[in-house]
Amino acid sequence: MADNLVQLTSHCQQQEAAIKSLSYDLQLLKDGQLPEDVELNAVSPNLAKLRAENEKLKYRLNTLKRSLAEEESRYEKVMPSLLVDLNSVFEGAIKAAAPELADPPIAISLSTAEKFGEYQCNSAMGISQQLKGLGIKKSPREIAETIVKGLPPSEMIEKVEIAGPGFINIHLTKSFVSHKLNELLVIGVRPPPIGRKKRVVVDMSSPNIAKEMHVGHLRSTIIGDSISRLYEFLGHDVLRLNHIGDWGTQFGMLIAHLMDKFPNYVAESPPIGDLQDFYKESKIRFDNEEEFKKRAYSLVVKLQAKEPDITKAWNLICDVSRREFQKIYDRLDIKIVERGESFYQDMMGDTVRALEAKGVVEVDDGRKVVFVPGHDVPLTVVKSDGGNTYDTSDMAALHHRLFDEHADVILYVVDAGQGLHFNLIFAAGKLVGWYDPSSTRVEHIGFGVVLGEDKKKFKTRSGETIRLADLLEEGLKRSLQKLKDKNRHEILTAEELKAAQESVAYGCIKYSDLSHNRVNDYVFSFDKMLDDKGNTAAYLLYAFTRIRSIARLANIDRDTLKKAAETTAVDLDHPKEWKLGKCLLRLPDILLRVLDDLCMHTLCDYLYEISTTFTEFYDHCYCVEKDRQTKEIIKVNMSRLLLCEATANVMECGFSILGINPVEKM
Amino acid sequence: MFEMVFSADELPLPTMHSNLSNNMADNLVQLFTGIGLSEQKAKETIKNEGLAEDLRKIVIEAQNKIGSSVEKTVGTLLYNIATRLKQKSRSSLLVEYIATKKISSEAQLTAAFDYFKSNPLDPIDISAFEAACGVGVVVTPEQIEEVVEEVLKKHKDGLIEQRYHYGVGSIMGEVRSKLKWADGRGIKNEVDMQILDLLGPKTDADKQKPQKAKPQTQSKKEETKKAEVEKELASPMDSKTDYQIMGDAIKFHKPGENYTTEGYVVTPKTMKLMKKHLEETGGQIRTRFPPEPNGILHIGHAKAINFNFGYARAHDGICFLRYDDTNPEKEEERFFRGILEMVEWLGYTPYKTTHASDYFHELYAWAIELIKRGLAYVCHQKQEEIKGRNPPPSPWRDRPVEESLTLFEDMKKGKLEEGEATLRMKTILEDGKMDPVAYRIKYTPHHRTKDEWCIYPTYDYTHCLCDSIENITHSLCTKEFQSRRSSYYWLCNALDAYCPVQWEYGRLNISYTVVSKRKIGKLISAGLIRDWDDPRLFTLTALRRRGFPAEAINIFCSKVGVTMAQVTIDPSMLESCVRDVLNNTAKRAMATLEPLKVTITNFPSDAPNKVDVPNIPHDASKGSHTVPFESTIYIEREDFRETAEKNYRRLTTNQPVGLKYVGYVICVEDIIKNNSGKITELKVTCKALGETDKPKSFIHWISKPITCEIRLYDRLFEHKNPEDPNEVPGGFVSDCNKDSLTVIYDALVDQSVKKAKQFEKFQFERIGFFSVDPDSTEDHLVFNRTVTLREDAAKS
Repeated sequence: MADNLVQLTSHCQQQEAAIKSLSYDLQLLKDGQLPEDVELNAVSPNLAKLRAENEKLKYRLNTLKRSLAEEESRYEKVMPSLLVDLNSVFEGAIKAAAPELADPPIAISLSTAEKFGEYQCNSAMGISQQLKGLGIKKSPREIAETIVKGLPPSEMIEKVEIAGPGFINIHLTKSFVSHKLNELLVIGVRPPPIGRKKRVVVDMSSPNIAKEMHVGHLRSTIIGDSISRLYEFLGHDVLRLNHIGDWGTQFGMLIAHLMDKFPNYVAESPPIGDLQDFYKESKIRFDNEEEFKKRAYSLVVKLQAKEPDITKAWNLICDVSRREFQKIYDRLDIKIVERGESFYQDMMGDTVRALEAKGVVEVDDGRKVVFVPGHDVPLTVVKSDGGNTYDTSDMAALHHRLFDEHADVILYVVDAGQGLHFNLIFAAGKLVGWYDPSSTRVEHIGFGVVLGEDKKKFKTRSGETIRLADLLEEGLKRSLQKLKDKNRHEILTAEELKAAQESVAYGCIKYSDLSHNRVNDYVFSFDKMLDDKGNTAAYLLYAFTRIRSIARLANIDRDTLKKAAETTAVDLDHPKEWKLGKCLLRLPDILLRVLDDLCMHTLCDYLYEISTTFTEFYDHCYCVEKDRQTKEIIKVNMSRLLLCEATANVMECGFSILGINPVEKM
Repeated sequence: MFEMVFSADELPLPTMHSNLSNNMADNLVQLFTGIGLSEQKAKETIKNEGLAEDLRKIVIEAQNKIGSSVEKTVGTLLYNIATRLKQKSRSSLLVEYIATKKISSEAQLTAAFDYFKSNPLDPIDISAFEAACGVGVVVTPEQIEEVVEEVLKKHKDGLIEQRYHYGVGSIMGEVRSKLKWADGRGIKNEVDMQILDLLGPKTDADKQKPQKAKPQTQSKKEETKKAEVEKELASPMDSKTDYQIMGDAIKFHKPGENYTTEGYVVTPKTMKLMKKHLEETGGQIRTRFPPEPNGILHIGHAKAINFNFGYARAHDGICFLRYDDTNPEKEEERFFRGILEMVEWLGYTPYKTTHASDYFHELYAWAIELIKRGLAYVCHQKQEEIKGRNPPPSPWRDRPVEESLTLFEDMKKGKLEEGEATLRMKTILEDGKMDPVAYRIKYTPHHRTKDEWCIYPTYDYTHCLCDSIENITHSLCTKEFQSRRSSYYWLCNALDAYCPVQWEYGRLNISYTVVSKRKIGKLISAGLIRDWDDPRLFTLTALRRRGFPAEAINIFCSKVGVTMAQVTIDPSMLESCVRDVLNNTAKRAMATLEPLKVTITNFPSDAPNKVDVPNIPHDASKGSHTVPFESTIYIEREDFRETAEKNYRRLTTNQPVGLKYVGYVICVEDIIKNNSGKITELKVTCKALGETDKPKSFIHWISKPITCEIRLYDRLFEHKNPEDPNEVPGGFVSDCNKDSLTVIYDALVDQSVKKAKQFEKFQFERIGFFSVDPDSTEDHLVFNRTVTLREDAAKS
């Protein structure tokens, strides 16, 4: 009995211990852990493997979450392009509707009329045409129906309709547009998404030392700067290069003359004054004095050998011109890095050797030339006297920009007359494999000549080149007159008046240049550019200040508007509201298009369209109601004030890309 | 056996390259013999098609200038252009100079080659080139006479003493160095004449061969050897010692002259980059030791450490310790710490400790640049597909740049799966391997960058660029990396980054061991060794634990030298270095592995109760210590035999023996045994040394000893190359000597070792060198036997 009891007690104790241990293990299992004494492989041979895999998946999830957050924050920094987004909505459906075609056309464009919605897809016609080529008969309408059926749901699209032979009309959702407008007001006007950041080199302005900067240089400066500003707004890294003409045989004669006129030039900077006169003087001596000519040539050699005193003289001469150029750049708010022809001189030997190493250099009548397929004239890289040419220095510059600046985009904003030359240079660069046009954009951005109102070359009455400084001065004078004509000098303070004067003067000069297709010649007319009606900066600047003043006159400041945008949805029920609202959201589409062809007039046209659309809106929709008698504010329509503010913001962005500096009061 | 006999006109031509018809070959032979080549030489030359073509062009070019007959001297120089000129584009220039005899000697031509080597870029500065080659320099006989006179004056004493046995070579050399462009024969004649003038005609004695110095006696030789070691020990880190390590390193380029190294690739950017490099380094030598932190260092690494740190130190340069931590899967914190500890243990301090991961951002930006330049692309071939010989080329090799850029960003963002994509470089390795991988996806956290990256760069991509960033002048690596040299240069140049010079040297291997991490791991898990630092291994921690002094390892590395050949060295050479060092540094102590109690029955009342023992017997400056001396002492059991053969010189029943240091001789009186007949104690009487005959030998002894644990080690492997399947068919694990560790738990050691620190080293007299093991505690000392006193003792 007693033995039994002892046995039972010990048995019971063992069981209790076992229960305790098992319930501990159970708890562990509940907590998602394994009991300590269990070998992983004992549970399942796959467990260790699965655990490792799970670790990796968790790690990847974490990486993906971070990348997503990154992309989202980047998304905040960009404004979607409606056209691009519609394209991606339609792409799948279009491809599915035409499985026979490897690359069916995805053709989405702005609608031709308001009743057709905002955008239209014209792919069905093209696909039908292409299928016909393959012997497949399918009507555009049929295709359009398949496309519409295959469309994924999208918050952008209110409805689609098939019209005519097979057009698909796309109507945008009002709430979507309204939401985007609120976003625009709260976060600001942002660029469209553009992929990776690129290094962009813009070769622009490029006047010659000791020569007058003329209207051709002005065009290059204005267009180049605007293109640069566009790239910068899109988030790229831009280097504006001033490829000035600061090298050549003429410096021998200038230096010789300088040494005669100011023998003490090394110690004391000479007061050269007017470099043009100085140039003329030395040219006369060069043409008439044999000894002077000889000396001039010897000085070119010394300059090339970088003799310190001669280099100093050269620099002094260049400085005179530099100061003149800088005055113009300051007025036009241009920031540019000087890297003239002299910069590339030492690289030309290497450039020729690099070309020789590629086996493309031929010796022709003592010269070293490079024949480029498709071009009749070869590049001359070494003259028969051993000297180099513009071909050589432009090849050296191209090489430097590609391999030292690591540029992804190189734009040469130079008049159209040099198109052949640059195309030859680019073709040679491609020939020797310096760059691949599919990933590197190297382009000549040509432009037409500037004509006078007589449609002839822009000259003074006496037939001389018009000095830029004089031209700008004239612009200032004219814009002041214009403002005074409207009695603005009585309303504005002296400071405000001066700001308005400069804004209008320089703004008009830039805008009238940019608003014309750059490829064409353009007529320079102060009268036209200062006209406050029509597509001019004068009109746009005035419209802009007026839009901004609407809220101001209702005593609502911009901070209040921004706050209101967080809570007040922009109402788009009125057709004019709707028209203006969706017009404003087209900015990203426009910028992408301009980026494509680098024709700034598209942006100008858009700004003008905004301005006229706004006028329509303002004519039909009260923003602020005032008592007719007392002029007291009765009612403020906040949603409409927001629409005004959005309009002004988009315009401001456009101005900034064009290099125009608007004022708040005018 | 028949002998084949040909008549002269039947004589077969040597085998010709199939492309050459006999007729053409004949023409060539004629052309070449025309410039003075022997017919045999000419025929040999045309066997080498490339050389023959080069030479043909050169000869024709020369003939166009000077007509068809070419002097032999000119011909020889022309032949030299064909064989020695590296930059073929400069051949015409040299032909011109040789044809017009502006370059007319081999010395001038060699100078021209040297000039080309150090001025690799066109255009050539003609005036500098001519100056370097001595063009237009005329040396008159008067000038030669004058210089020879001047030089002989310096050597006059030596000449008069040794007469014609005096080495004329050094005199010639000096004259030549002063008259670089003089005709060699002219100098020789002038020297001979002036010596004749000084010494008169040769006597009979002059004509006899000088007697060679008698070979040194053995002992003398050893003395000098010892002296050398001592010299080294006196300043083991002396820069001169470092310099001697260098062997092939003497040929290394000067900083900034990377392009003088054979095989270095010069680009149009090289000179500019070199200038910038020199500005940043100030012309300093920069090396790096770049271990992967995925294991522990072994003896082979000691060579790399010594070479890199030593070369830098010898030239006032700097050396980086750079952890090559690009593989996140294999890194562990303990490896990082262990590596630095070992570098410091060997006596080196890194100028800076860096990590490849420090540069992950730069490396990533560079990868994008490489893609932009069309030199890298994202590839989707699976790892298995590109393994092995002649894998198929990647179908993605020519995908558009923009596409690769987007995909590479996707890789970084985690959008692709592991193994789904890699970034590959468009280059071919020496062994024909195409497009090595630069980046791969790994969803694994990194020891240092944590969860920042999911793409990691490869060795091929990372190594050279890190070297470039750190402005390394000499990138020293073992020979396995020879096949990566071209991709190393290619990548630096592809990115227009400064390109260091890669130098390969032979790996240092030791026989009777394994060093790979995986294999050591296997030994540990099989229970054959205790841990990574088991003293039977040749990891550096193991060697330290066994008691090898760092100096000995450094000296060993220096003795092995930096040859480009791979060497396998017997561990006995390392052990001998260890003995040399310890002999001068390890304090003497007395210990018995197997003690036998001895009681001196007549312990004199006037005997000292302690005695002084010198720390290092041959170096009084190292001081001494005292040990107690009492009537009970312990001796090594094997130092007593009841009966012994004649040549046994130690204690026997009837042969007294001396006790070291105390000046007593003991004589056995009584032997006490236990039940099993084992001797447990000896009763002896003692006499002062002067009172009796000098004993045949002296033995060590201990009084009032402390009990210690002693571990004795033997070689772990039976065979020289345990990894060689021919030698050891059963695999290296089967080759282990299971009895390679002997532990003695009750050894007795004299009191001088009390409180010895970890790794403190002793020579236990007549037994060997020992080192305190980290397992020791305050009251339980553990000693490892580092080495026996003599090499052969280890095997007994």
